[in-house]
Amino acid sequence: MIARRGFLQIILAGLGLTALGSFLYPLLRYFSPTAGEGEAEKLIVDKREIPVGGSKDILFHGTPSIIINRPQKGFIVLSKVCTHLGCLIDYEKAKKRFLCPCHAGVFDLEGNVVSGPPPAPLPQFALKIEGDNLVIG
Amino acid sequence: MLKAIKNWIEVRIGLDELVRDQLTEYRIPRNINLFYSLGTVAIAAFSIQVLTGIVLLVYYVPHPDHAFKSVQGIMMDVPYGWLFRQVHAVGSNLLVIVVALHMLSVFFMKSYAKPREMTWLVGFAMLLLTLTFCLSGYLLPWSQLSYWATTIVTNMPTAFPYIGDYLTEFQRGSSQVSGATLGRFFALHVMLLPALLVMLLGIHLFLIRRIGISRPPFGPGGQERVEWTQFHHESYPDGMPFYPHYIAKEVFMIMVYLSAMFFIIAFLPTLFSPADANIPADPFKTPAHIKPEWYFLAPYQMLRVIPSKFLGITLQMIAITVLFFWPFLDRKEERNILKRPVLLGGFIGALLVWIGLTIWGNF
Repeated sequence: MIARRGFLQIILAGLGLTALGSFLYPLLRYFSPTAGEGEAEKLIVDKREIPVGGSKDILFHGTPSIIINRPQKGFIVLSKVCTHLGCLIDYEKAKKRFLCPCHAGVFDLEGNVVSGPPPAPLPQFALKIEGDNLVIG
Repeated sequence: MLKAIKNWIEVRIGLDELVRDQLTEYRIPRNINLFYSLGTVAIAAFSIQVLTGIVLLVYYVPHPDHAFKSVQGIMMDVPYGWLFRQVHAVGSNLLVIVVALHMLSVFFMKSYAKPREMTWLVGFAMLLLTLTFCLSGYLLPWSQLSYWATTIVTNMPTAFPYIGDYLTEFQRGSSQVSGATLGRFFALHVMLLPALLVMLLGIHLFLIRRIGISRPPFGPGGQERVEWTQFHHESYPDGMPFYPHYIAKEVFMIMVYLSAMFFIIAFLPTLFSPADANIPADPFKTPAHIKPEWYFLAPYQMLRVIPSKFLGITLQMIAITVLFFWPFLDRKEERNILKRPVLLGGFIGALLVWIGLTIWGNF
């Protein structure tokens, strides 16, 4: 049998926690980035702008990205954000690789890690070729 | 007239008694050394940051399209703007040095020992807040250096599985460092962090005065041990008066601090602002050889040396946690570190590793 004083303490604690929660949840949502905005949008690029071996920097869904026209293998779209600490990788055309200027992480043209500290490959974005257009996303 | 005003206040709050209890009759150990003044120097340095920060707020615009220009305007167009900005920028670096030296001296003299564990915890939290202060302020000029250094540091949580990406986006307010990041870092830098730091500083000072200042373990009386089974205020009736004796030493150390600051501003103005600090942020181009601020260089270099990012960051978190809870891990009675070769060796070794990584990270 719970005493009246104990019961009131539980009720008060419950009310306090509810009040705190009803303040903290909106605060957390307020500071959380708006997810999904524009993620359904596709980006169209004229493929004639990118010769074989060439590249084009784009911003796709807020992520700095790069389109590469690989010799023999065709187009690929990769995020330029290094998976180590978020620096932007540089495309080294002559060496057919990407190099991160921060910790010298090296990726091949498929985005796979060749050497250095990056823990994962560069994210790749979906790409379709429709006539002269590259449809990304 | 002045006497009448003083008397008016005296009648209401007992000013004479306050001065007597808190300054002239307040006594501290005779073997106290200059390192004890670093706390006061840190308070003075923080006050300078607050004052210059308020002055800079008048012209600074926290928007990606205007932030860099507004800072350049402060440096080039606003009369003496360069002075206030340089004092703020150089002062932030010196503040980190002063707070770090204060923590090192407290560690070296084992002033964290019972009953002062809480004082250490609050002090350590203030060190972390100071670093957060520097990190949030570093982004505000919106230069290449500030943009990419912030990118690197805010990317660190991605090492943790499941929640890492969310934590990084939560800090930034977007997937990349952007205007949203600038907005929240600005709010953090000018409102939340100062309020938190002042609150912690209040608790820190309260604990120091309530428990009593610790006696250095070196020199006369240094080896005296007090059994601490119940609370009592540790006082030194034969000690040195806080005012004017010790305050004179503290003022001297503040002068040394100001001399160092103005020496750097006058003769080494670019010491803490390399070339990339004068180029506006370009979110599409990471500059070659980008580095964070010097005090983050050791952990940055560690991430370069250790191949696994998760392992590197976990090791750093463990090191911070161990240091934070150090008063509870160090159970030895001996306070003189010179009589504890293992601890002394570890202390010097850790310091050398940190300095070595910082220097290495520069190249």
